[in-house]
Amino acid sequence: MTTWYYTNIVLIQSTFTTLLLALSLQVPMRVGVFSFAGVGCFGLGGYAAAIAMTRFDMSTAESVAVGTALAGVAALLLGLLVQRLTGLYLAMATVAFTLIVSVVAVNGGDLTGGAGGIFGALGDLQTWHLLVAAVVVVALLAMTERGAIGRRVEAVRENPELAASFGINVTRYRVTAFTVSGVLGGLSGAFTILLRSTVTPDAISFHLIVLALTVIIVGGWTSWLGALVGSVIFVWLPSMLDFVGDWEAVVYGAIVALAAVFLPEGVVGLIGATVRRLRRVRRRAGGAGAVPAAAPDADLPDADAASPAVVPPATRGVTQ
Amino acid sequence: MTTVDDAPAAGGATVLQIEDVAVYFGGVRAVDGVSLTLTAGKIFGILGPNGSGKSTLLAAVTRLVPLTRGRLRCDGRFYDRLPPHAVAGLGIARTFQTVRLLEGRTVRENVLLGADVAAGGRAGRRAAAQRADEAIELTGLQSVQRLRPDELSYGYQRRVEIARAIAMCPRLLLLDEPTAGMNRQEREEISALMHRLQQERGLTQLLIEHDVQMMTDTCDYLFAMNFGRLIAEGAPQDVVRDPAVQEAYVGKRRSRHA
Repeated sequence: MTTWYYTNIVLIQSTFTTLLLALSLQVPMRVGVFSFAGVGCFGLGGYAAAIAMTRFDMSTAESVAVGTALAGVAALLLGLLVQRLTGLYLAMATVAFTLIVSVVAVNGGDLTGGAGGIFGALGDLQTWHLLVAAVVVVALLAMTERGAIGRRVEAVRENPELAASFGINVTRYRVTAFTVSGVLGGLSGAFTILLRSTVTPDAISFHLIVLALTVIIVGGWTSWLGALVGSVIFVWLPSMLDFVGDWEAVVYGAIVALAAVFLPEGVVGLIGATVRRLRRVRRRAGGAGAVPAAAPDADLPDADAASPAVVPPATRGVTQ
Repeated sequence: MTTVDDAPAAGGATVLQIEDVAVYFGGVRAVDGVSLTLTAGKIFGILGPNGSGKSTLLAAVTRLVPLTRGRLRCDGRFYDRLPPHAVAGLGIARTFQTVRLLEGRTVRENVLLGADVAAGGRAGRRAAAQRADEAIELTGLQSVQRLRPDELSYGYQRRVEIARAIAMCPRLLLLDEPTAGMNRQEREEISALMHRLQQERGLTQLLIEHDVQMMTDTCDYLFAMNFGRLIAEGAPQDVVRDPAVQEAYVGKRRSRHA
């Protein structure tokens, strides 16, 4: 076990940093905002942490705090700025923000080290630091998926007008999501850079946006669990695909394409749907006494199994 | 059931007052100077053909679209400067013309979304759960409350929408074509539900529809709209016989009521 741990320590650590990065895109997505600003904040947080450590001699903890806070503030300001944008335009604006961060990094002179980046920013981070951070983040996010908050977040995502009719301040939810996204991206960036000891403008590339998005699409975008599953898959997959050699990129691409087509809510969504289907079947098999089955459902192959006695009367003559 | 009055003010206190409200979208005058008053405990209806401005008026009343001119008053208090999310706090709930349910949640969770309004702390959560249960019972959704919207018929999905709005315990319920796409029997059930809400809770309701029979069966007082203006108001039977209303529905309804 310990041998396995030391051989794979890089993969274990990057599972946590990838999780945080993926969550930074997932949080805005959960309130219906397609924002890639989390990746820009990853760069911002990484650079800020590296600068804090190498130029201002700050400790690891202080550097991480500076990087995270700066990224959070930047995301908050960006969130207020692009508040009126929606959909594709918002996504474009946040991609632009991410690319601007890398342009600034290239042209930052002595502060950012230009195209060469910053070296020697090696913090004394342990795996358990990352674990604790990930657990805290996940615990907080899990709370926003449950109960009244969870329902409200979902209402904001599904329909802002509907959410407003329940007294939900949609703008506040969105700006908050932006800020949280920035904090998570910044945290991930600061951790990543202080583990690698090096940051270059290449670290904040379009490729990173694609990776983070892929993690959520394949894992599942509706819950933190999806981000975790996706992170595990995409951090460990390349090392498992060694045997296919040059075909690795093809296999990787095929997995992403298949997931996008066949798993609209990712691996986690598939598991959830399967569990529900099994329950439904069991409910019918176990007699309709306790919980009656409902109206015939067009997309269920076993819809005919529903007992006519428990179909609500109003379903007669319904046009689906 | 309350008797049909000729004047809306005869019932009780004023709940909602719309004063000369206009909403223009560029050159389109969707709503063009509408004034009306809703009094407590009655079922009001706005009748009008498609595109007559009914839904836009509702969007204006719930602050989803900005007013070009005019004022809105709830319980005598002006609220036309408030953001849309503050309208729920005034005790105004609404349903939408299209079904807008959370697909991944059960019927009960969807209803809880409405019940959550102004719920805080443990006592608040318990009260919210109770409000949800009452709304579910009132709308006859007990047997399906653990199912998801996609397992329900369309008529039942609309009931969930109404239950969710009722769970907010509003003083005024706005219903935007709650029976669109329903058959006659389902319409009658919704109509019966509205009367039940009126009797058991004294709930003031504003129903928007273009189905004349549904409106005359359900409402105590009717407004008719066309081209963004009110063209008639009064007791339902009188309004549907009004020549201007007949003309708005020309060819479609004349034979039935002439």
